[in-house]
Amino acid sequence: MARHPDTDLVPFLRGDLPPAERDRVARHLEECPDCRQDAEQLRDLLGDLARSIGQPPTVQWARYRAELREKLEARRGRRAWWSRPVPLAVSASLAGVLLVVAVWGGREMSRGTDPLSPDEAVIGHELGLLQEFQTVERLDLLEDLDVIGDLDGLASGQG
Amino acid sequence: MEPSDEALCQRVAKRDEAAFDLLVSRYQERAYRLAWSMLRNAEDARDVSQDAFIRLYQAAGSFGGRSKFSTWFYRILINLCLDHKRKHRWWKLWVRDEDDERSDTILDRQPAPVVDPVDKMSREQTMKALGAAVDRLAPRQRAAVLLRVQEDMATYDIARVLKCSEATVRVHLHRALTTLKKTVEKR
Repeated sequence: MARHPDTDLVPFLRGDLPPAERDRVARHLEECPDCRQDAEQLRDLLGDLARSIGQPPTVQWARYRAELREKLEARRGRRAWWSRPVPLAVSASLAGVLLVVAVWGGREMSRGTDPLSPDEAVIGHELGLLQEFQTVERLDLLEDLDVIGDLDGLASGQG
Repeated sequence: MEPSDEALCQRVAKRDEAAFDLLVSRYQERAYRLAWSMLRNAEDARDVSQDAFIRLYQAAGSFGGRSKFSTWFYRILINLCLDHKRKHRWWKLWVRDEDDERSDTILDRQPAPVVDPVDKMSREQTMKALGAAVDRLAPRQRAAVLLRVQEDMATYDIARVLKCSEATVRVHLHRALTTLKKTVEKR
């Protein structure tokens, strides 16, 4: 005898099987009393199930549709955040500020010199270098103390 | 002649509000009943079925018309129900809604032929146990059973709704009904 058509019984009972499969299952049921009994029990069970699942509490359909309309309108109003006007304006302003800061900062950087710390200013003043700081800064001589000693002359243009 | 569901859905894609209202009217009861059968809570069923209509409105343009509208819509609805169950699985262990109790709804639904009261009681208890056993099925098995029994859907259509093969649906149904049959036999 062919295999038992366990999983085919439900579709068979509803008439969902294609003709060839339906004939095969029908032939099997004629020959197999166990499967025939299974099919009968399944038919009863499906009938009972339809009744046992029952009906939900009643609904006021006009109210249901009104709620649905409200929810739909709310969803329509809830556009994506990036497409809303306020965040867009804020984002544009922020981007503008960042651009200005970047450009301004870049110009400041391009001036090239770091400001002197107070200590450096005092030492520079004492050495008479402050007036020629731009010149001195470009010299790689500051570690040579003998040269530093001669630098006073630079202020008076003797160097 | 009444427009088909598929034609209405195509009109909804073009934001035809009247077509949407008509589709809602046609499917509201089925959607709510199926959601309730899946979720066993009236408020959740109302919310989830309304969400399904909103998704329908938003996604109508993606309905290609290759399948039946009902299959396409039930897929949206069942997916929302399965998502809802997943999200509320742990919460449900702690809180049990009144709607979850299956109380006396079966009594209200049954016609009352003249029968032996003892038989009647036994039958009602069996039906109650059967309904409770459906609630305990795995979600996809339960969905397959409900679509088959409540919506009288063909295996092919259930497979489209659950996005699986027909063979898988047959297995779901076979396993679910075997479990339910055992419940009845125990009584």
